[in-house]
Amino acid sequence: MKRKAIWIAAGLAALAVGVTGIVLAQKKYTIVTVVKITGINWFNRMEEGVKQYAKDTGNNATQTGPAQADAAQQLKLIQDLVAKKPDAIAVVPFDPATLEPVLKQALDRGIKVITHEADNQVNTLYDIEAFDNVAFGARLNERLAKCMGGSGKWTVFVGSLGSKTHNQWADGGIANAKKHSGMQLVDAKQETADDAEKAYQKAKEILKKYPDIKGFQGSASTDVAGIGRAIEEAGLNDKVCVFGTSLPSIAGKYIETGAVDGIGFWDPKDAGIVMNKVAQMVLEGKKITDGMDLGVKGYEKVSVTKGAGQGFIIRGNAFVDVDKSNLKDYNF
Amino acid sequence: MRSWLADNHIRFLLFANLAILIVAALVSGGQFLDPYNFQSMAKQLPEIALLAMAVMFAMISGGGGIDLSVVGVANLSAIAAGLVAKSVAPNNGVEFTVVFVVVALLVGTICGLINGLLIARAGFAPILATLGTQLVFVGLGVALSGGPAVSLGYVEPFVEIGNGSLLGIPVPFIIFTIIVALVAWVLARTRFGFRLYLTGTNAKAAYFTGINTPTILIFTYTLCGVLSSVAGILIASGASSAKWDYGTSYLLIAILIAVMGGINPDGGYGKVTGLVLSGIALQMLSSALNLAGLSNFLKDFMWGLLLILSIIFTSAWTRLGFAPRRRDTS
Repeated sequence: MKRKAIWIAAGLAALAVGVTGIVLAQKKYTIVTVVKITGINWFNRMEEGVKQYAKDTGNNATQTGPAQADAAQQLKLIQDLVAKKPDAIAVVPFDPATLEPVLKQALDRGIKVITHEADNQVNTLYDIEAFDNVAFGARLNERLAKCMGGSGKWTVFVGSLGSKTHNQWADGGIANAKKHSGMQLVDAKQETADDAEKAYQKAKEILKKYPDIKGFQGSASTDVAGIGRAIEEAGLNDKVCVFGTSLPSIAGKYIETGAVDGIGFWDPKDAGIVMNKVAQMVLEGKKITDGMDLGVKGYEKVSVTKGAGQGFIIRGNAFVDVDKSNLKDYNF
Repeated sequence: MRSWLADNHIRFLLFANLAILIVAALVSGGQFLDPYNFQSMAKQLPEIALLAMAVMFAMISGGGGIDLSVVGVANLSAIAAGLVAKSVAPNNGVEFTVVFVVVALLVGTICGLINGLLIARAGFAPILATLGTQLVFVGLGVALSGGPAVSLGYVEPFVEIGNGSLLGIPVPFIIFTIIVALVAWVLARTRFGFRLYLTGTNAKAAYFTGINTPTILIFTYTLCGVLSSVAGILIASGASSAKWDYGTSYLLIAILIAVMGGINPDGGYGKVTGLVLSGIALQMLSSALNLAGLSNFLKDFMWGLLLILSIIFTSAWTRLGFAPRRRDTS
C-alpha cells in the first residue's frame, strides 16, 4: 500500500510538473484573452494577434478558452481567472448575458474588463467592434454594385430575420443600392437559417423566378457558399455577381471558380491586438476617445460611443475585402 | 471514519485530492491556496455536482439506470421559472425569487416524473427514455425562450443564491452541503434508501421480497428531476440568465464524476461521499490548470487520466494499492 501510494504521488507530481514546466517570466502587465472556444481557425487567428502583441510590448499576454463550445465552460474559466487576478481580461463572450455576474465580480476585484462582439454587455469598460454594421453592409453592396455595373436585379439573403447583425448588414446594403438608380431589389431578405443547403435552395428558386438576376448579397457566412453552388450548377459564374459576409475557409473554393466574386469580414488577429492594446491603455490610466488612432490597421480612427452599462463601445473600420486576388493571404 | 476508509474508491479519492492540492499549491507558487480561489472553486462545484448526484441516483437504481436528461431538465426549469417569475413578479425581488424557485422545482419534479413513468410503467430502457426526454426538454426550452438567453437581470435576493456568500462561504456551496447531508441521510438511514439499493442490486429479488420496485424507480427518477432543477436554479442565478444550451458539456462530466466517485453503473452501490470527493478532485484539477494558464484541452485529458487511474487503482483485478486485498470480494 505504502509503496503504491508513493508511486502514484510520484506519477501525478511528474505529470503536473511536466506540463506546467514552462514558468512564465513575470512581465509588466498580465492580460488574458478569453475566447468562445479554443482550437477553431477563427480564434487560432486571434491568438496570432495576441502573441504578436505580447512579443511587441513585452507584456504577459496569453489567450485561453474552453475546449467545448459551451457558455457554462467559459463562465467557469473566467471565474478561475478572477481568482487568479490578472491585470486585465479581454473576453469574446459566448453569450454576453450569462457573463454579466462574473464580469461584475472581475470589475469589483479590480480587474480591467474589455469585451469584443458584445455591444450589449453591461459589465465591461470597453467593448470593441470591428466596424459599424450598417457601413459594412453598404460596403459589401458597393462592391456588388460595381461588379453589376450599377444596374440590374439583385437580392439579399439573411440567416434569420431575428439576427440583429444580419439585418443591419442587409439594411446597409439596401440603403446603398438606392444610390444606383439602375439597381432593382427583388424578394429582399430571404431567410437561410445559417445553412448553406437552404441558401442553395433559395438561390435556385430566385434564379428560376428571375432568370435575369444580376446580383446576390449574402449575410450568414454560409450564404455565399450556397449561392455559389447554385450559380456554378447553372453555369452563371461570369454573369451573376455574388458578394457576402463569409470566411475564406467557407467560401474559398467558390471564389477560386468565380462563382462567388468577393467576401467581406474582419480579421480576428487585429481584433486580438486591439483588445490587448485597449486593455493596456486602460491599465495605464489612459482614456480612449473618439477619433483616436489605436495603431492597428482598420482602427486608425475609431468611433467611441456610450455602451449598455458604464463602459464604452469602440468601433473601427476594420473591413477586410477578399476576392480571388488576395484569397491566399487568409488561412481561416 | 473507519467505514469510510473501508471503501477503496474513497481511499483513492482522498489520496488523489491530497496529491492534486499539494501539486497545485507547489506549481502555482501558493496562489492556489489563496482563500479567494477556494471560494471560487466552492462556487463552481455545486451545479455540476448536483447533476452528478442526479445521475448517481439513476445509476444506483440499477437496470442500466442513467439519466441523460439532467442538463435538459436544469435548463428547462430555469427557462420556465424565469419566464413565469418575470411576468408574475417583475418588481418585487423576494416574490420573484420565491416564484422562480417554486416553479423551477415544480418543472423539475414533473420532468423527473415523466422519466420515471416511462421507465417504470412503460418499461423503456433508462438510456432510451432519458435520451428521448432530453431532446424533448431541450426542444421545449428553445420553444419557450425562442432561442436567445432569458435574461433575468440583477434581482436582489435572487442573484445571492448563485453569487452571494455567508461568512465567506459561497451560498451555492451552503445549499449544496445541506443537500449532500440530506441525500446521505436518505441513502443510509431511510427505508427508501435501503429499498433503492436492493432494487439496484437485484430488481427481481427485491420485487419478490415485497418491494414495490416500480414505485421506487418512479420516485428515484423524480428525485433526479428535482436535483437537476436545483442545479438549474444555481446556474440561472449564477449567470443571471437561463438558456437552453447552457452547460451542454456537463452531461458527460456529471457521469464522469459519478463513476469516478465509485457509483456502480450496474446499480446497487454508491456513496454520496465518493461523489463529493470525486467532484472536488475534478474541480481542483480544473481550477489549478486555469491558474497555471494551461490549455483547456489538457483539462479534459487530465480528467480522463484521473478516471483511468481510479479504475486501475480500485479494481480488484489489478490488485494495486487501493484495491481490496483478496479477489473474492468482487
